[in-house]
Amino acid sequence: MISSLDKLRAILRRDLLTAIRHRTGFVLTFASLLTQLAAFYFLSHSIGPIYRPGGMDYFPFLLVGTGLYIFFVMSTQAFLNTVQQAQQTGTMEVLMTTSTAPAELVILSSISAFAGNLVNLVVYLAAGVAIFRASVHANVLACLAVLILSLAIALALGITAATLQIAFQKGGAMVWLMSSGLWLLSGAMFPVQSLPRPLELLARLIPVNYAVQGMRMALLQGQSISAIAPILGTLLAFGLLLLPLSLWGLSFSLKRARQNGTLSFY
Amino acid sequence: MDRVAFESVRKVFRHRPALFNWLGRERAGDTIALNSVSFAAAPGEVLVLLGPNGSGKSTALKLISTMLLPDSGSVHVAGFDTNQQAGDVRRQVGIAVATERSFFPRLSARENLDFFAALDEVAPRERSRRIEEVLADTGLQEQADTLVMKFSSGMYQRLGIARALVKRPAILLLDEPTRSLDAATTAHFWTMIRTLVRQNTTILLATHNFAEAVSVGDRLLLLQKGELLAERSIGSGESMEQLRTFYFRTTGETDEAASPIQHAGRVL
Repeated sequence: MISSLDKLRAILRRDLLTAIRHRTGFVLTFASLLTQLAAFYFLSHSIGPIYRPGGMDYFPFLLVGTGLYIFFVMSTQAFLNTVQQAQQTGTMEVLMTTSTAPAELVILSSISAFAGNLVNLVVYLAAGVAIFRASVHANVLACLAVLILSLAIALALGITAATLQIAFQKGGAMVWLMSSGLWLLSGAMFPVQSLPRPLELLARLIPVNYAVQGMRMALLQGQSISAIAPILGTLLAFGLLLLPLSLWGLSFSLKRARQNGTLSFY
Repeated sequence: MDRVAFESVRKVFRHRPALFNWLGRERAGDTIALNSVSFAAAPGEVLVLLGPNGSGKSTALKLISTMLLPDSGSVHVAGFDTNQQAGDVRRQVGIAVATERSFFPRLSARENLDFFAALDEVAPRERSRRIEEVLADTGLQEQADTLVMKFSSGMYQRLGIARALVKRPAILLLDEPTRSLDAATTAHFWTMIRTLVRQNTTILLATHNFAEAVSVGDRLLLLQKGELLAERSIGSGESMEQLRTFYFRTTGETDEAASPIQHAGRVL
């Protein structure tokens, strides 16, 4: 346990140092978040105050939906970039010969990638409240519960992208599928109840949808943990299913790559 | 007990043809990297895998490090099977690979070493001292806080060696370790390796440089196209000249001691 925490510290430090030494990239990330936020603010203004999905003002509704959408997509992309760069530079093979088990290494690396984007999410939400005056009535405990369960699901998605990258050199397909599919089915921009029935049913199979719903209820409507218990339960069930499944897939693809000598193929 | 034991190891790389292969000329088929190779290395021994490019030297090192798994046969390291007990194997092995840029470019040399030392479970209390030691051993003290993206090939190679040493492995795998080093650094490097050998570290060196192989090795394994052609103990009565003649005749390689320029003729 102490050893794993020490390794996580080393990985977090590596990623933080790399991020801040990419000075332009570091500044652009936050500039890009603010630009997107401004675009959603003016979109909600153009639509006007009459449109209140789920009884909420549209801008706060968009703030939470797009914030979580960006978190899921960007963190998966960030983690995938880490894996791809490791393959391209040859670091991947060396990392796989350290005393750290490959699965542990991938999980710790993904936690780091997702933690970085969790900071971005908090900045995004805080900027929405502070700069664009989104009205929130947060239940902090409920928000934290949704965030923790969302992080578990995000980890599973990131690990799946890494698995696809290692097995078929096609991790980008996962990010493409997420970035395009989630706009339509996650309820980020509009309630999924507006979709045709078959698509609405499909949306119910997507865990991001529940993360978005839960966060809106906890952050915008101040609902308690017990009030959003069904959503938390669904997120927990998705986490318990997807995390072990993604880890099994990763372990299988790593063994296959070591057998075929394709660990550093990209 | 042998530190490293190969038993009838076979490794084949399969190249599946691309879709629409008629558009290009990608070669398909199998490459036999190692064919039923068996050997062992003892504690405190410098075992040299000598052979031309494509002979299977690097594949053998990758199999020991668990980067690759054998198709058949078995590889044991310190008594652990690389297939079944990979974690135990990795705790014993340090590897300096030929890939130069296998570092995080926006971290300094010291930060890179600290990162890999953490993953290699070097105790935090000991880490700084060990990093200072390996930086001194590889002559990188002055560049310790330089971002590695600014490093030359030789500096990358030295850092690769430092990374392999920082965990103090029982088995050290070196793949062409002195390829980009200058003469003084090379000499210092081999002195350092000899010290490790005296401390009972097993060294496996992959090289195609005959002169280096015979000057630093205790035993030579001669590989060609995945086959183990011969095994020779250095200093067992066979003269250097006999060994040299044997190697170059068997592999058909050009003798590096005879200058290639002599063969090419004067160009200016």
